[in-house]
Amino acid sequence: MLKWMLAAGAAALAITAPVAAQKGGHGGGKEHGQQAKAQKGGGGQKADRGNRGGGQKADRGNRGGSQKAERSARGGGNDRMKARRQQFVQRDDHPSKGRGKSNVSHEDRGQGQAIKADRGNRGNDNVRMVQGNDRNRDVRVVRSDRDRDGFRFVPSWNDRGMVRGFADGCPPGLAKKGNGCMPPGLAKDIVGTRLPAALVGNMLAGPYRSWYRDNDDYFYRWDDDYIYRVDRGDGLINALFPYSNRDYYYYPVGMQYPDYYNYYNVPYQYQSYYPDGGDYWYRYGDGAIYQVNPSNGMISGIAALLTGDPFAVGQPLPMGYSTYNVPFDYRDRYYDTADNWYRYNDGYIYRVDPTTQLITAVINALV
Amino acid sequence: MPLNKYTASAALAVLLFAGACDKGADPAPKSEAAKEAAGDATIASGLGDATKFAAAAKQSGLDATLAGPGPYTVLVPTDAAFDKMPAGALDTLMKPEGRAELTGILTYHILPGAMLAADIAKAIDAGNGKAVLATMAGGTLTATREGDTIVIADGAGTKARILGADEKKSNGVIHRIDAVLMPS
Repeated sequence: MLKWMLAAGAAALAITAPVAAQKGGHGGGKEHGQQAKAQKGGGGQKADRGNRGGGQKADRGNRGGSQKAERSARGGGNDRMKARRQQFVQRDDHPSKGRGKSNVSHEDRGQGQAIKADRGNRGNDNVRMVQGNDRNRDVRVVRSDRDRDGFRFVPSWNDRGMVRGFADGCPPGLAKKGNGCMPPGLAKDIVGTRLPAALVGNMLAGPYRSWYRDNDDYFYRWDDDYIYRVDRGDGLINALFPYSNRDYYYYPVGMQYPDYYNYYNVPYQYQSYYPDGGDYWYRYGDGAIYQVNPSNGMISGIAALLTGDPFAVGQPLPMGYSTYNVPFDYRDRYYDTADNWYRYNDGYIYRVDPTTQLITAVINALV
Repeated sequence: MPLNKYTASAALAVLLFAGACDKGADPAPKSEAAKEAAGDATIASGLGDATKFAAAAKQSGLDATLAGPGPYTVLVPTDAAFDKMPAGALDTLMKPEGRAELTGILTYHILPGAMLAADIAKAIDAGNGKAVLATMAGGTLTATREGDTIVIADGAGTKARILGADEKKSNGVIHRIDAVLMPS
């Protein structure tokens, strides 16, 4: 009897937790090895997070394998996921006219989707900072146009209550592309492919370089839309996730975290707070670290908020930080003087030259 | 067959359990490191009589943020401030389909780091009468002074006055304000 009841319980779990269906507990099948491996990479910070037991690995394998099964099983019911995915590439459209870039299409994927090597500066009113990479040749803008991202929520009210508007006229889930609202390609197909040569030099810049640090196992590169985690062993992309931080946009609690980006991607400085492998998964996206229920893939809470503002040594202090905001515990050490200001952002304290308004040092990581 | 009954009840129990897990999720940090960093007297636990803001934070899942390490500066609209919203607006936002918008609005009230009123006042003075404040939502707010009161304006020009300032918490600080700020 007990066995039967357990079996029934398992069946019920399969109903409530589709991600665990079919291949649960076995670390995925043939096509899932890649994702399972990606999970194992855990943000590429293996060396820093040496707390993984066998059970956690089993858990990660489970996730990597079965979500695809669930995705395909849902078929037409996958629209919402598609909608989310489509939103991620909206950054690709509006600045394109103004930037002198050379987009290099990656043609191996057969989906018509391109990984783009963006070499240009965006001609955009809201450019807040320009970053250069190690080679001083790859100029790009980090989070240049928060105010012009297509899905900016524009709430307003009329006699009937709240009405919604979208900044670019496209409904949620459809990015404004060129002459209309078009869906992007499928991000999932990028995982397992080779990093295009055009992206090899696209080192992360700004705060993202601190958030996602290259190590012995993985390195990170990016384009306009995604950060790619690449396995040094085989040179294949084994994880990707969008890094854009759209104004006023968050995944609502209760929705499923997008399968396609379901990799442990918590920024480095927050990994000790939000480790994977426990009762919850943690995923970064759109300016927040989400707490995800592993049993059903649902977002159950927003664990932390990040601004993603472009703080980096040598760069101007971003707008909105004229007010001293150092956490109380650090105020006796880092207080504003005529020579130095200190400002807090996303887990770090930065020193700023009050005269030039340039960031001169990263003083401390809080976490 | 009795087995069916048992299996059905077992399945139901698991279903109920799974549902309950999501619904009443404890907002406290899960890891010891995060718990320690957040401290005991968090913003989430110090919202006091701001019941509408607290309910909205819970509805949007931001109660976990406010119970987490932070630090954040949170502009908490009083219940009276929420009452000033257009009729039905909050009700709409509090529905499940309003969560995304609600989250966007609440995060407009959460600022990075810990800013005391005196810090904001100093920045206003240094900034020729105004200070622009970054928010977690992405947009900015503008702080000015009206007499001794600090006034925070949103992108559309709606003004909120800081009624009660500097409630220091283990993960940041709360300032009470008399209007709900809206992104625009």
